[in-house]
Amino acid sequence: MRLTLVRRERASRLAMFAAPVVALVLSALASLILFAALGKPAEQALYSLLLEPFLSWYNFSEVLLKAAPLMLIAQGLAVGFRANVFNIGAEGQLIIGAIAATALPVWYPAGTSVWMLPAMIAMGALGGMAWAGVAALLKTRFNANEILVTLMLTLIATQVLNYLLLGPWKDPHGFNFPQTVPFPAAAMLPVLLPGTRVNISLIGALIASVLAYVMMRHRFSGFQLLVSGLAPRAASYAGFSERRGIWVSLLVGGMAAGLAGACEVAGPLGQLQRSVTTGYGYAAIIVAYLGGLNPLGIVASALLMSVLYIGGDNAMVSADLPVAGVAVFQGLLLVFYLASLTFIRNRVVLIRRPGAAR
Amino acid sequence: MSQGPTPLLSLSGVSKRYGGVVANSGIDLAVTAGSIHAILGENGAGKSTLMKLIYGVETPDDGVIAWKGQPVRLSSPAAARRLGIGMVFQHFSLFETLTVVQNMALVVPGAQAALAARIRALGDEFGLSVDPAALVHSLSVGERQRVEIIRCLLLDPELLILDEPTSVLPPQSVVKLFETLRRLQVKGMAILFISHKLEEIKELCDTATILRLGRVTGRLDPRNHSAKELATLMIGREMPAVVRAAPLGLGEVRLELAGVGYANDDPFGVSLSDVSLAVHSGEIVGIAGISGNGQQELAALISGEIAQGAAPGAIRLLGQAVGDMGVAARRRLGFAFVPEERLGRGAVPEMSLADNVLLTAHGRGLVHRGFISRQAERAFTADCIARFDVRTPGPETEAGALSGGNLQKFIMGREVMLEPAMLLVSQPTWGVDIGAATDIRQRLVAMRNQGVAILVISEEIDELFQICDTLHVLYKGRLSAALPTASITVNEVGAHMIGAGQPAGAVP
Amino acid sequence: MKNNLNRRSFLRTSLAAGTALALPVPAFAADVLNIVLIVPSPAADVGWSHTLELGTKALEAEYGDKVKVSLLENIAEGPDADRIMNKTVADGNTFLILGSFGYMNGGLKLAAAHPEVSILHASGYQTAANFSPFGARYYQGTYLMGMAAASLTKSKKLGCVGAFPIPELITSINAWTLGAQSVDPSIEVSVVWVNSWFDPAAEQNAAKALLAQGCDVIFSNAQDTPSVVTACEAAGAYVFNLNSSMATYAPTKYLGVVGTDWAPYFKASVAAHLAGTFKGASAWLGIADNCVFLADWSKDIPADMAAKIADAQGKIASGAFSPFTGPITDQADAVHVAAGVTLGDDDILSMDWHVKGVTTPLPK
Repeated sequence: MRLTLVRRERASRLAMFAAPVVALVLSALASLILFAALGKPAEQALYSLLLEPFLSWYNFSEVLLKAAPLMLIAQGLAVGFRANVFNIGAEGQLIIGAIAATALPVWYPAGTSVWMLPAMIAMGALGGMAWAGVAALLKTRFNANEILVTLMLTLIATQVLNYLLLGPWKDPHGFNFPQTVPFPAAAMLPVLLPGTRVNISLIGALIASVLAYVMMRHRFSGFQLLVSGLAPRAASYAGFSERRGIWVSLLVGGMAAGLAGACEVAGPLGQLQRSVTTGYGYAAIIVAYLGGLNPLGIVASALLMSVLYIGGDNAMVSADLPVAGVAVFQGLLLVFYLASLTFIRNRVVLIRRPGAAR
Repeated sequence: MSQGPTPLLSLSGVSKRYGGVVANSGIDLAVTAGSIHAILGENGAGKSTLMKLIYGVETPDDGVIAWKGQPVRLSSPAAARRLGIGMVFQHFSLFETLTVVQNMALVVPGAQAALAARIRALGDEFGLSVDPAALVHSLSVGERQRVEIIRCLLLDPELLILDEPTSVLPPQSVVKLFETLRRLQVKGMAILFISHKLEEIKELCDTATILRLGRVTGRLDPRNHSAKELATLMIGREMPAVVRAAPLGLGEVRLELAGVGYANDDPFGVSLSDVSLAVHSGEIVGIAGISGNGQQELAALISGEIAQGAAPGAIRLLGQAVGDMGVAARRRLGFAFVPEERLGRGAVPEMSLADNVLLTAHGRGLVHRGFISRQAERAFTADCIARFDVRTPGPETEAGALSGGNLQKFIMGREVMLEPAMLLVSQPTWGVDIGAATDIRQRLVAMRNQGVAILVISEEIDELFQICDTLHVLYKGRLSAALPTASITVNEVGAHMIGAGQPAGAVP
Repeated sequence: MKNNLNRRSFLRTSLAAGTALALPVPAFAADVLNIVLIVPSPAADVGWSHTLELGTKALEAEYGDKVKVSLLENIAEGPDADRIMNKTVADGNTFLILGSFGYMNGGLKLAAAHPEVSILHASGYQTAANFSPFGARYYQGTYLMGMAAASLTKSKKLGCVGAFPIPELITSINAWTLGAQSVDPSIEVSVVWVNSWFDPAAEQNAAKALLAQGCDVIFSNAQDTPSVVTACEAAGAYVFNLNSSMATYAPTKYLGVVGTDWAPYFKASVAAHLAGTFKGASAWLGIADNCVFLADWSKDIPADMAAKIADAQGKIASGAFSPFTGPITDQADAVHVAAGVTLGDDDILSMDWHVKGVTTPLPK
């Protein structure tokens, strides 16, 4: 007897919902063993990782704070991923968006205009779009692989950031530390939940999720992208422009990342500094796939990833878990999740020895 | 039914349901060694399901499958192969980037050199000549089919299942295939032959089992019955004959190719040279020829999927030079196209039929201000399903779940409902059973009678003779001159198809 | 501690079933002082984070189980660090040592929100009632290293690999230059900024670039890795660094270390915190405070020079001499500090210019 996988007639909805739960349980069990083997308090670590983020208002507000940029970027990236346009340079687009948004408070450090913040948001969006647009241009003009181009543009964006922070945009009162002036109040996003750091970018991310849902489910343009992703030849047969798909995919992704960058500097950071992103652009790729590239799924997966980040930090503080231990848990979760995804379109069949009946 | 010796394979009371749909119900079937046994049936009659049960792809809900009298449980194709059952699918499952012998080595143990020798020996014995060292993507469809058959034979099967094997072959190759099958029969092999070509079945098979709506409606010796009788058993009513209207006076030219050439970048693709043709309103023009002689390239050049660029010659569509025009713009002129690949090109397998309608029918009120009107989409789809007799639970079914013939009817229906002025159809009845094929041909003729200009690219000569006013033959990227169907014979066209005719389209 | 009781009971019901592992709960007894050290780089065996860790080890040695020290390493500066600091306070830690400038803003907010917490903040410039910036007068040590370097250089070209062009590092380079010029006024110094506290590859490349320019004594300025030191040993150039000795990485070419010992300062601060007398104040500690020390001197330094260095060290410790005593000329050949004038702490703490002899322009 042996086990084999057989493709299902159609995707199993039960498995679709069960997959993340199963993955969570399996990774919890695996890390329980791992942490115990490390001699670390395993239950304490899991408690910190998975439960503590929900058990206090402060912790949960931090989850929301971190989920907002992840959600926003992942929604933008998922649009492209579904069209088989792989923008993996959201990190760079975020940095450029943050830089573009920061231009205003740097030029008007004492600005009080009510238009300052909206203008910063718009500039952030445009900055991200411009950076992603470079990849779109190279892809449509020279068929340059967008994966490589967006990744390399991220390296360039980092250098642009370094140049500005160490040079022209350095805070004149900052003792040469690589950071800009602190933003004036007019350049800061209003706090959404009093007493926390959660700002209105969370609302923005949720609106973006709704827009992404509408686009992918109800807009013809979203349908065209889906077709290009699922069956490129059908898209070409139907006359859907490949160029347009590439441009839309990259610009939407770039815009989302740029917005997230603007919201980071105008939100929890309050100035532009080198740690403007701690890998949001890359984490959002995982978020997008973890959410099944589905706008609603991404809302859930952004929250989950955020919980893992917050929980991971908590585990370092409370359970004395090493940084690597947290990363291992996060990796385990993804591996188990991807493995359990297999069962959405496949089922396990027990095969008795063939010919046994002979 | 066969009496006497124990049948090689027997099914009794076999049933299979998918959800609420009964695909097979109480099927009894007995296949004896040394017999060529036909399975006849319309789309959705349950032929494919039955073959899947026999080949171990699916397991029956009820009933018993017995091999040499012993009940067996066929849980996978591998198990079926171990028993001695081989199958050649309608859609080939070969790796294009591997050579013939490498493809074989994936399923047959042994050194490649020894394997190559066996491939040659089998080829000589059964008339299946193919170069073991050739890369699969360089092979013609006929050759690929031979590779598939040889791959089965290498495993020494006692039962060989062939799914619509002649649908892709030119007449001359069909003759060769039948020779091969007869030689196998003489060796004592049993063959299950799925086909909708009644004359072929009468010529080749000694037994026929006819299915309709998942049930067996007839078991007979096809040699003793007329094609009309077989068809009646199969579709449950008299075969409608294609209404061939009298020749119409030709209207204006709607599609014109003048000296079109195309240099294919793909080293294994076909380049076209100096292709000229004209399709008028109220005319069906056919392009005969074996697949792989430039049909795909020609169709894509006309549809706009291949940009003409700087290639020589001119394409005029509905009064406009369209060389620089994209696919969407050409469609807006009143052009519609049914491609030969249904899954992945004519339809997106993972999407519902309703969404697949949106693919080309979006301009017909299905999109308002950029928003998809689900209601209009569903109504259009339901209309298409009803008018074109697509057998499916409904508009929400994934296109990939439809059988080949049903999907073709759906795509055909979608494009016809666009009310095109110029319709290009590539392989309209490829793998479609006789009832559906007749229906499709009738619709094409009806459209022609309403003044639509139609270009049909097909491998089936009979079909082209049935519906076309004029024929061209495409061979190695060159198109013959127009041959009026009224004044030529099938054999003349066949000669063109294998390059024996006069290349009348040669540069003057 | 209500918080912990909740946690304990929750865990019992949810997790304890089936596991034989004892439930670990941090022992937050009222009489134990919980101390956290947060550093931006991975904790290593050498470097800045390591010396801070040594300082906390001294606390443990002094107070035994009256204190519990947690080390949080590799914490990125920014919103994450802010949250983690908050979490440590929520967990019952009341004495925080923030090991990087970038934690300043978050630390200040935290200090304002939690007056019961005392915070030490490395290399910052802001002070609050319960928030003390601290730093080391590295320049006192680098001046002496300059004298030593001058006695060993043949090319008369010195090189420095710097982390960030901030005043703390600039003063170290200037003092080093002045120390070398006190022996041989023709000596020049080149600087490469890697713009990172922790980037072994970039640091090594920077060192190689300086060596290629002919620099034969290298200053690894504020690196947390021994990458510069090993590169110099391999190339046969003398090298020294700050904070903790890396002599084992350069057995033959190690010039010495300008070390820092935070134990006295940490002990005093914790004592004040326990006594309720902690008061935020800037602590800029030098040789006289037993914070900055020099060790592992190279045996290649001529005896007469060693004597001169010892003499200068004594004068600096006693306050009789400051490296930044005029006349000092800047890179633009202008007299920046007039003859007879000694720069005050404020001028040194905000130094944003290089002395003449440093050939690399300061990034602006």
